[in-house]
Amino acid sequence: MSRLRLALCASTLAALAACGPAPIDASHQIGPNPYLPPLHQYLLPPMKLAKVIGWQAGQTPTAAPGLRIQALASGLKNPRSLYTLPNGDILVVETSGPEAPPIRRPKEWVMNWMEKNTHSTQQGHDILLLRTDGHGAVLQKSVFIDHLSSPFGVVLVGNDLYVADTDEVLRFPYQTGQTRITEPGVKLCDLPGGPIDHHWTKSLTASPDGTKLYAGVGSNSNITENGIPAEKDRAAIWEIDRATGAHRLYATGLRNPNGLTFEPQSHVLWAVVNERDELGPDLVPDYLTSVQYGGFYGWPYSYWGQHLDPRVKPQRPDLVKRAIVPDYSLSSHVAPLGLVFDTGDSLPPQYKGGAFIVEHGSWDRTQLNGYKVVFVPFGSGRPIGQAQDVVTGFLTSDGKAHGRPVGLALDASGALLIADDVGNTVWRVTAG
Amino acid sequence: MADDHPRATARIGGHPIHPMLVPIPITCFIGALLADFAYWRTADIIWGDFADWLLTLGLIVSVFVVIAGVIDFLGERRIRALPQAWIHGIGNGIALVLAIVDAFVHTRDAYGQLPAGLILSLLVVLILLVTGWNGWDMVYRHGVAVNPERRP
Repeated sequence: MSRLRLALCASTLAALAACGPAPIDASHQIGPNPYLPPLHQYLLPPMKLAKVIGWQAGQTPTAAPGLRIQALASGLKNPRSLYTLPNGDILVVETSGPEAPPIRRPKEWVMNWMEKNTHSTQQGHDILLLRTDGHGAVLQKSVFIDHLSSPFGVVLVGNDLYVADTDEVLRFPYQTGQTRITEPGVKLCDLPGGPIDHHWTKSLTASPDGTKLYAGVGSNSNITENGIPAEKDRAAIWEIDRATGAHRLYATGLRNPNGLTFEPQSHVLWAVVNERDELGPDLVPDYLTSVQYGGFYGWPYSYWGQHLDPRVKPQRPDLVKRAIVPDYSLSSHVAPLGLVFDTGDSLPPQYKGGAFIVEHGSWDRTQLNGYKVVFVPFGSGRPIGQAQDVVTGFLTSDGKAHGRPVGLALDASGALLIADDVGNTVWRVTAG
Repeated sequence: MADDHPRATARIGGHPIHPMLVPIPITCFIGALLADFAYWRTADIIWGDFADWLLTLGLIVSVFVVIAGVIDFLGERRIRALPQAWIHGIGNGIALVLAIVDAFVHTRDAYGQLPAGLILSLLVVLILLVTGWNGWDMVYRHGVAVNPERRP
């Protein structure tokens, strides 16, 4: 009897672990018309994260032919986003998530345990300033602003430097050449923060005329499992008036929008969006999209237009009907967190005007996806053609991670900078 | 004097362990069913979370219930001779496997745990009605684990 029970339990667990569709080739999900398999709800969702082993001296990621990659700065504390000031100084946001709330469900014990060793052990809550010689050598490194609260987005408008902490937008006075700001920030407006704060990175950019700020506010859950009230004003891009701090929801239904950037030719706002988990290894594709004012992009009710998500109750057919299909799929679970258009002159000409996108990498599919920087060519303000790998080699052949790319910027010379949070490095990619 | 009652082998201070612990998972699994029903009707996630915790706690305590029950079953020939003991054991084994699957279904986010979670919770409780009846039958009708000296 006991043996029978044991055998039953063991075989049930084995069957649970084994079930679930096999991943398809990610290339079927690159571009405007991704293949969308039937959705699959797991009994035991796969979790596979790359254990972090760091970079040895001299090791670098691999740049595409025609490009060269070197470390600009290392030994950082969880660098997650980058911003270049007009005088060429580079801001590195060293940041970590806010303290996690008490667990809500038994599942979270298991997930927290599985995610051990896959994040940086360093904690950062500040912004560093790097002054370079313009050719990849750091001349001076200083703490620019400290005592921030899970900062992420940074944007300068005139002499006003805005920093998006996880729960507010702060304004700091900045004079060209300054290497440290000691004045306290002045709050421009609150952002949705704790106590749950599931997606805590608040991306930030300014309109081309400088009158408005745009903040990406990610959802407070995977798919409303923390309750619908917790999602108030989230999964949205906020438009914030610089003069008054008043805000309105510019676009909604964007589960976790990051990399907010105005496309330089069309002056339209673009973002990369992290879509939902646990519907299969190839659902739902993360994407790159232009963002329309008043647009609804599906989350939580539907994905990729009108594909309903059965996990959301009550449904909202009125919203689903007008859900916008995103512009460009990047394939599933790649976790795009940064976007920058090549507006410089120093990278090879095929990159001119196109979009670099950084993919932090998957955690919930058996074959790792992402963990690289890709390039999507643009023409007339729209993606034209297949995404190409630009920087790879963050993973070892046996699936461990030297680092994970997470933030992008161009420096004053037009070189591409990549923040690597678990590798605690900023990489610089130049022609060569 | 010859003991005319089948004895429980797994005891603490003379008290049989299995009947002491078994109300905990039964209560948890019934509570999970009620919570699933409430989630189905209200779509308020707090009920889904309650069901999730109740199933988990019920399963954890069930490990000890099963160990004590199996020891009692193997340790006393007269228990093994009762058809109720077989119905009780096999039925609870099936209920436990269903409850494990149910707990995995409850790891799905939000309304994804329905309807499968509600159906499984209902099946578990229906099986427990039968096996519980047989369990008490063993005690009341056959005096399993009853202390003979205290019997009037």
